Amino acid sequence: MKLLTKLTLTSTLSKIATVILFIVLLPFLINRVAFQSTNGLLKQQAKKVMDNIRNNGIDYYLQGDSTYGSYTMLKEEYISLEKARNIYIEDTIQTAQRIIEGDTVMYRVLDQAFEYNNQLYELEIGRTIASISQYNSPLQKIALYVLGILIILTLLIELSFTRIQLRPLQTIIRTKLINPVFPFKEAPLPIRTTTVDFRYLDASLIALMNRIKEDFDREREFTSNASHELMTPIGILQTKMENLMLVNDLEEPVLEKIMEMMRTLNRLKKIVHSLLLISRIENDQYARQDSIQPDKMINEIVEELQHRIEDRNIRMSVSFQHHIVLHRLNHDLIFQLFYNLINNAIRYNKENGNIHISDGITAEGAYKISITDTGIGIEAADIDTIFNRFRKKNTIDGEGFGLGLAIVKSIADYHAIELKVYSQVGRTTTVAVNFGKPLPL
Amino acid sequence: MKVLIIEDERGMALEMEDFLIKAGYLCDLAFTAKQARQCMEEGPYDFILLDLGLPDKDGLQVLEEAKKICQEASYIILTARGKLEDRIKGLDLGADDYLPKPFSLLELQSRMQAISRRKSGLKDNLVSLGDFTINFSNRIALFEDTDVGLSKKEFDLLSYMVLNKNRPLTRMQLSEHIWGSFTDDDYDSNYIDVHIKNIRKKMTEYGPVDWLQTIRGIGYKIKL
Repeated sequence: MKLLTKLTLTSTLSKIATVILFIVLLPFLINRVAFQSTNGLLKQQAKKVMDNIRNNGIDYYLQGDSTYGSYTMLKEEYISLEKARNIYIEDTIQTAQRIIEGDTVMYRVLDQAFEYNNQLYELEIGRTIASISQYNSPLQKIALYVLGILIILTLLIELSFTRIQLRPLQTIIRTKLINPVFPFKEAPLPIRTTTVDFRYLDASLIALMNRIKEDFDREREFTSNASHELMTPIGILQTKMENLMLVNDLEEPVLEKIMEMMRTLNRLKKIVHSLLLISRIENDQYARQDSIQPDKMINEIVEELQHRIEDRNIRMSVSFQHHIVLHRLNHDLIFQLFYNLINNAIRYNKENGNIHISDGITAEGAYKISITDTGIGIEAADIDTIFNRFRKKNTIDGEGFGLGLAIVKSIADYHAIELKVYSQVGRTTTVAVNFGKPLPL
Repeated sequence: MKVLIIEDERGMALEMEDFLIKAGYLCDLAFTAKQARQCMEEGPYDFILLDLGLPDKDGLQVLEEAKKICQEASYIILTARGKLEDRIKGLDLGADDYLPKPFSLLELQSRMQAISRRKSGLKDNLVSLGDFTINFSNRIALFEDTDVGLSKKEFDLLSYMVLNKNRPLTRMQLSEHIWGSFTDDDYDSNYIDVHIKNIRKKMTEYGPVDWLQTIRGIGYKIKL
C-alpha cells in the first residue's frame, strides 16, 4: 500500500472513531450539562424567591395561607412554599417524582429551608426532567451531520496537503529509484523540498548513486586500461613466437612446444579481447546507426557456422515471417550477439540435434527472434547467472572461457534488447531476443 | 621493398623487423614520431607501418604529415586502441589498411602483399604453384586453364598458405585467418584439416599436390 493511502486511511479511521465515541457519549454529556444548568437555574429562582420574601414579606406568597403552590401550564415547573415542621432540612437538589393534579412527573427538585419571623419554612422549586432530555436526540443528529461534514472537509484538506507534502518523496522514488537505468548516464539532481527528512533521504540516495557510478566507472576504466596494457605484451610475445617458429630446422618437439605456447597465448588474447569488447560496449564506443535485415543476417551467420553444423550433423531450420529492417543498431555487435547465441546452440546441442530459428511479434507488439535447440539445457537455478562473466559450468571439454554470453548480455543491454531464456534440462533451450521496438508498419 | 616501422614498443618493432627482413624486405626502425620524420625525409619507402600510440605525437597526425612527405608509400596502421573512429579516420586519411594489435606477423605480411598486388595494377595477379596457377584477382586456382573449383574458404586457406610459403603454419594460425576473431580455439582447428583434405582431393584430380605438406602435430606448409 502506498504511504499516501496509508496516511489517508489512518486519518479517516481515527476521525470516524473519535466522532462515533463523541456521539455515543453525547447523551451523558448533555444530561450532565443540563443537570448542572438546571441546578443553577433552580438556585437562581430560589434566590429570587428569597429576595422577594426579604423585600415584600412572606405574605407576598402566602397571603395568609399556610402554603403556596404554583406551576406552569404544562407542569414543566412548579414552586411550593410551606411552613416546615420544626425539623431542620438540609438544602438539596435531587431528581424525584412529584404528583401534580394526578400526574406523576419526574422533576429536578430544589429543597431549601429558611427561617422567617422565627418560623421555619420549606421552599421547593422543580423543573421536569423531560424538558431536559428532549433535546438529546435532535442534538445527536445535528452533531452527526455537522461532524460528518467536518470530517469530509478536514479529510479533503488533509489529503491535498499530504499529497503536496509527500510529493518530494514521489519525486525521489521516480527520479532516483524507478527511472534511472544502470549504468547511470547523467548525474542525479537533488530535489527541492523544505522537508528535512526527504532532503536527507534524497542526499543519501544521490551519494549512493554517485558511489555506484564511481565504482562502476573505475571498474570500467580498469578493465579497459588493463586489457589495453595487456595487449602490447601479448602482441610482442606472439610475434616472438611466430619468429621462433620460422627458425630453420627446428626439431619437431620444439615446434610442438612453441605451438602449445602460442595456443595458450591465443587463449589469453581472446579473453583480453572479449573483456576489451565488453568494456568498449560499456563505454559507448560503438555507434548505433546501422539498419539491419535480421533474416539476412541470421542466414549469413548460419552460413559462417555451416562447418560446425555439418560436423555435428545438426538440422538447422530458419523460418522468418517478417522480412523487416531494424534501425539504429550496431551491425557488428548484433552480428556478434546472434553469432554467439547460434554458436552456443550448436556447441551445447546433441549429435544429430535440431536448431530452430524463427521470428515473431510479442503480445506488446515488439519484434523478437527465438533460437531453440535440442541441447543439454540449463538448470532453472542457473538461468539467471548464465550471462555472468567467467561462468562456464556447462562448457564441454573445457572449451570456451565463459565470456560469450557475457558479451551477448552487454550487447543486448547496449541496444535495450531483452533476453529471455527458457529451458528444460536435457531437452531444450530457447533464447528469445526481444528488440522491444514495435514493428514499423 | 623498403619498410619503415614506426613503433614505440622496441620489443615489438624488433620482432617485426626480424620477420620482415627474413621475408626479404629492407627495414628501418623509428621509435618516436621525431625519428620517423627523419627517416621519412631521408628516403622513400614502399611501406610505412605506423603505430598510432606514439609517445610524442598523435598517430593520426603523424599519418597526415607522413602522407605529404612519402606520397608513394603504402600505409598500414597498427594500433591497440581499436576504436572504430580511429580506424575510419585512419582510412580516411589515406591509410591502405588497418591492423588491430595484437596481430600475427603472417597476417601483416599477407596484408602487405595484398596491397602490393593491388597497387601493382597488374590485370591478372598470378602465382604459380607446382602445375597450378593461383589467380589472386579472380580468386581462383587454375590447372592450365581449368578452374579446379575451390570453395571460397578453401581458396582463402590456400592463398594464405601460398603467401606464407615455406613457413610452417599452425592450424590455429590458419583458422584465425579464415574465421578472424570468431575463431573458437581448438574447436575450429579441426575444420582446417577438413578443408585441407578437400583442397587436396579437388586438386589431385588434376595434378600432384606434393608441395602441400602436413607437419605432424603442428599444421601445414607449402614448400616451393
